Amino acid sequence: MNVPSDLRYTRTHEWARLDGGVLTVGITDFAQHQLSDLTYVELPKVGDEVGAGDEVAVVESVKAASDIYAPCGGVITEVNAALPDRPDLINRDPYGEGWIFKVRPASADEFDALIEPDEYEELLPGSEG
Amino acid sequence: MSARAFFLELPLPFSEGVELQERLVEARARGDIPDTVLFLEHAPVVTLGARGRTEHLKLSRDELAARGIELAPASRGGDVTYHGPGQLVMYPILKLGEREADAHGYLFNLEEVGLRTAADFGVQAWRRPGLNGIWTEAGKLAAIGFRIRRWVTMHGMSFNVDPDLGGFQAIFPCGLREPVTSLRALLGGRCPALSAVRDRMAVHFGAVFQRPLAVRGGNPMP
Repeated sequence: MNVPSDLRYTRTHEWARLDGGVLTVGITDFAQHQLSDLTYVELPKVGDEVGAGDEVAVVESVKAASDIYAPCGGVITEVNAALPDRPDLINRDPYGEGWIFKVRPASADEFDALIEPDEYEELLPGSEG
Repeated sequence: MSARAFFLELPLPFSEGVELQERLVEARARGDIPDTVLFLEHAPVVTLGARGRTEHLKLSRDELAARGIELAPASRGGDVTYHGPGQLVMYPILKLGEREADAHGYLFNLEEVGLRTAADFGVQAWRRPGLNGIWTEAGKLAAIGFRIRRWVTMHGMSFNVDPDLGGFQAIFPCGLREPVTSLRALLGGRCPALSAVRDRMAVHFGAVFQRPLAVRGGNPMP
């Protein structure tokens, strides 16, 4: 599984990238693989106030539905408007074009409280099995 | 803690199955219980998945009720399906990501359990890319739809052993205009008892998911 080293992670398989005080959030390669080909994405609304661990989005494949959680508390500043028409972007490019929403954290240390890449990698099953 | 299986004997109303699963998912996410797999049969019900479309119903709620079939929403992925006695339903409540086998993907593993179970009774079945369930030359033998909450799974697979296939005539299963089949339709008098299929499915589940199942009696909730 691809786990980029410049991101932080959650135990519920979201990733977050810090840029200018705002976190960009998506789901990890592991998560998109478990769900298979996504067919539907329900996004949060810009301006929504969320708490850490809140359910903020839903993704669905032909066979699966899964909740996406806020990695930190804060305000939603942007959503990926391309996703409703192109949910497959999450499968194709989970760490890039498949980003889901941006959130401005309530406090600056929220990013540092997330899981480091090497620690996240240890949470994942190996690719042999 | 090793994984547990519960064999529920009564046909369970669908809504009670959902309530039980929701409580198990919460308990599993908190770490209060180990991975748990329910095997059961439902009372007759047509369920609509999260994206399920009512135009895939051929009968109204009242017409279904007149046939003794409930209509219920389901939070799983997938479209519309039928459950009823004679169909083996497997609901895994699993925390994903805790075994090497999970790297194959949950869906792949569920399908694998269904394929191996069918093979045990001499039925060759296969996957069809992009379509729900497992398939045979006579049509779809098992349907799959699941939900993941806090990375714990619910819903799962329904495998047609010897259900009233007439129940499927109330719907376009999964929104597809494709035939549905059962072990009874494929094997006739050689169709195994549902309990025999359940026992084999539990064994295959343990192997495929690397979670050997200890069969328990009583209430799945602590």
